[in-house]
Amino acid sequence: MLEHQVVLIAGMAVVTFIPRFFPLLLLSKKEISPSLSRWMSFIPVSIFAALVASDVFFWEESFNLNPVMNIKLLPSVLVILLAIKTRSLLWSMILGVSAITLMWLIV
Amino acid sequence: MSRDTIMSGVKASTPIMASYIALGIACGIVLYDAGFTVGQIMMMSLLVYAGAAQFLAASLVVMGASVPSVILMVFFLNLRHVLMSASISSFVKDKSLLYLGLFGHTLSDESFGINYSRFQNNQWHPNEALVTSLSNYSTWIVSTIIGGVIGSQFPINTLIMNYALIAMFLCMMVMQFVSKAHIVAAIASVGFTVILTVILQHNIALVIATVLASCIGYIVENRTDRIKGGNSHA
Repeated sequence: MLEHQVVLIAGMAVVTFIPRFFPLLLLSKKEISPSLSRWMSFIPVSIFAALVASDVFFWEESFNLNPVMNIKLLPSVLVILLAIKTRSLLWSMILGVSAITLMWLIV
Repeated sequence: MSRDTIMSGVKASTPIMASYIALGIACGIVLYDAGFTVGQIMMMSLLVYAGAAQFLAASLVVMGASVPSVILMVFFLNLRHVLMSASISSFVKDKSLLYLGLFGHTLSDESFGINYSRFQNNQWHPNEALVTSLSNYSTWIVSTIIGGVIGSQFPINTLIMNYALIAMFLCMMVMQFVSKAHIVAAIASVGFTVILTVILQHNIALVIATVLASCIGYIVENRTDRIKGGNSHA
């Protein structure tokens, strides 16, 4: 377990440093092809959506769209609305945690 | 480096430092919750220093994802820094390798945002930029350690703590909604993730869904441009 985490941290460090450092050293913005840069602009949004979807739509390991059983669904709608309005990570987290706690206490 | 340089660099970073304290503590708590020790959390913040990637790692480790798939997702997530790094490179071209190494290592989304806008307004020196980045960096490290210690002292409801992560990813997703095509990519990613997770029963579903959805976003945006015809040069 411990060894896994050390390998994980080392691997993460390498794949984080490379895209931050080498363009600084070797490139300017003009040298990146517009197609590649356009494709790359879609990666973060796709990752966040995938992370959310793989969690929110599942309850006890199976796909579940029943908002009374899967108590993560309703708070997620609220968080999206707040995020659209405020774009604040902190407020989204505070609202999300409050809403899920409330659902957990009620259901 | 003069005292004035340090003062103005730190001053520029204060709004970011405030948000890093709150998010760093949260990140430390979820990483501890995911099974990392306080020492490992410190190492991660020191060596990786990428908030979104650290939250992502916590989330995927909890799901039971393998080490290579976590690293692959972190790599994809960090590809966005290629553009930031390339854009800011012209302002620090003549600096030493040590400077570039440190500046690159500490190039977070927020540090980039502050430094790039100041460089563009011609009111920023590379040393001030580095001080700003380093203030953000040290704030993040200390805050995640504090979060780890808090996590180790109090029992935390796993459902609620994991949901804090989801709320954060939801907001990060919304912040990426810069065009209709980006919203389409998000919806496609949700669809692919659900279908592939049900079929494959494996976290590799997230990696495949991410790549496919990015391609769909790309295609949709290209098509939108073509329909607009010569009106758009964007």
